[in-house]
Parts: sequence; structure tokens; C-alpha cells
Amino acid sequence: MTHGLTIALVLTALGIAGAQQPASPAQAPAPQPLPVKKPATDGKVWGALVYATNDAASLTGSTETAPADFADMQSRLGKVFPYQRFEIIGQHLQDVFREYESWVVPTKDLFLKVDSKGPANGGGMNLHLQFWRDQQVLVKTDTVLKADSPLFIGGPKWRQGRLVFVLILQKGR
Amino acid sequence: MKTPPEDHDLIRWLDGEMNPAERTRFAARMDADPALKAEAEAMQRISTDLRAHLPVEMPLPYADFFNSQIQVRIAQEEVLSHEPGHRTWLDWLRMPTLVAATAAVAIAGMIIWQQGAQGGSVVLSTYAPDPAVQARSFHSEEAGATVLMLDGLEDMPADKKFVTFRIKHTENDHEAATTTLYGLHDEPLLVVAKDARNQPRLLAATPRG
Repeated sequence: MTHGLTIALVLTALGIAGAQQPASPAQAPAPQPLPVKKPATDGKVWGALVYATNDAASLTGSTETAPADFADMQSRLGKVFPYQRFEIIGQHLQDVFREYESWVVPTKDLFLKVDSKGPANGGGMNLHLQFWRDQQVLVKTDTVLKADSPLFIGGPKWRQGRLVFVLILQKGR
Repeated sequence: MKTPPEDHDLIRWLDGEMNPAERTRFAARMDADPALKAEAEAMQRISTDLRAHLPVEMPLPYADFFNSQIQVRIAQEEVLSHEPGHRTWLDWLRMPTLVAATAAVAIAGMIIWQQGAQGGSVVLSTYAPDPAVQARSFHSEEAGATVLMLDGLEDMPADKKFVTFRIKHTENDHEAATTTLYGLHDEPLLVVAKDARNQPRLLAATPRG
């Protein structure tokens, strides 16, 4: 069902569903069985879009909170960015697939593409990251991401502050 | 079919290696040969495009190996320096070009080595396609974080409403080259597909029926 749903969504969105439909239901091919094998992963990353500001009135009112093992996120952000308030707008915990691209999508507008390049010497992961704003890639970077050492990406300005993308490698892999 | 000397001139023209007189002569040759001119202009466009898309920052390859080899070489030089008439590495370092090159490599190596030694994340290379965007990275010891700062980005509209999700898990469909993001109740929320230009399209997933 998942496979069929995805195909239908994509074809419909791209406006080519009609061209792919069979001439009659009687000629429709039998549904293919879904692969049950889960793709291999190299770890998990937590990504969040954070609004940094000094203007309390401009906060969105989001109630999102950081994971327990990153409870000091706000104070750490405050040591880099000249703001006092850091509000998580959206967050996403994502597997990093070994052979396929992964998407960290805390919001529909600003998101990250993650490609694993394998474990790094001394721990952590080698990653190729692409930071996207809608259909425009803002930056591409090769990074060694280590647990306990988040990556802060200073993004575009918004309202009375700035948007920051936070990426953390989850411990335990 | 062009002769090799003409090809050579074309490459030198593309690389900006000609002096003014040579450029004038080559321009005259292009004016007399429309095919050569068309080829030169096409290659110039390709060259410009390539340069525009090459990363500005590149990682120092094998930095640890390079540093260790410098240290080995220094140790060898110290032993040899006790031999009469031998030129020490300090003599070589008095050469201005060598000093500058050594300093540049050492600084680049130290930056990578320091970030690695501190156990923090490291930004190896960055590339911002928009030339107006400046990407710079640094490690903040105080924050215990690595920072990739993007300056020159276009502001987000102040009235922008962000669409967020609570994603529980993700599935890839390799046949359709899509990724489906599922919510807390295993409901499909979003499908990430790519268009003909290999750019992501985030499509809201609405179950049928």
C-alpha cells in the first residue's frame, strides 16, 4: 500500500498520472509485492529549525522542545548567535541511510539533504549535506559530524532575528 | 580540422596566458574563422560555468599524513644539521616563497587538526551556488559546536508561516525515487520527490479514499 500510495502521489503531483493509467481495469498489471528489507543505516541525526531573536513579541508560540540530551541547546546557541531567545519551530529525528539519501525536514520550507559517506576516523560520521530553501540549495558542505558536537547553520534573517538550522548526531551508533 | 598549434593557442587564450599582442593576433584569427570563434566562445562559456560551480574551499587532503611527514623531515634535518657543510631546513625557510607556502599549509593543517583534536565536528568544505552568499565555518569552543554561517542570504518574508511536521519514520521508494515521511500515527505526511532538474519537490501526502 505504501508503494502504491507513493507512486500515485508523485504521479498525480507531476501531472502524469493519466498517461500511466492502463487502458482498462481488466488489463491492469498485478500489484508487485513490497520489499520488506529495511535499508541499512549509519546512524540517526536530529535536525531542528530554530528562530533566534531578542524580540519576545515576534516569537511564534511554538511549543517544540529539544531532546533531553540536548537540553542546553539554547545556552549553547546563545554563545554563538547574539540573541537571547531561541524557539524551536520544527524538528525531525531521521535515520541516515547508508546507501540512499536522507531528508531532515523540520519544516517544509527549510530542510536538509543528508548523504552518508561512512564512519569517520575517531568517531562520528562523514556526511555530505545540502541545505535547501524550497527549491534553492543554499549551501553544500562536506562535514564530519560527531556526537556532542552539533552543527549550527546560520540561515536567513526572519522577522526580528535569524533562522538557525541545528543538526546533531545521536549518540549510540 | 584544426592544427595542433591552433588548439594550443585556443587553450592559452582561454587560460588568459596570452600577452596583448598575441591576444590581438588571435582575435584577428577568430574574426577570419567563424568556426574557430564559435568554438572559442563555446569553450569559454563552459569554462566560466565550471569555475562558477567549483567549490571555493577544498579540504586539505591527508592533513595528518602531511603533518607527520613534516615532523619526520624536521627530525631528519636536525640529525643531518650536525654534519659539517650541511644546509639546514632553517636555511630553506629563509626563502620567502617557501616560508609563505609552508605557513599557508601549516595554518590550514592546524585548523583541521585543532578541530579534530578537540573532538568536535568539522566542516571540510563548503560551496554556496549563489555568489552573493558567503559561507564561513568555525568551531566555538565555548558552545561546543561547529558553526557554518551563511551571510548574504535573502531574508525570509516576515509573514512567512512555517509548515512543520511530527515525523515518526521514513521510507524510501527506490523505484519511484521518493522518500515518504510518516507521522506519529503512521499516516503519510510528506513525499520528497525530485523534478527533472534534480531539485527536491516536497509534496503534501493526502491518503486516498
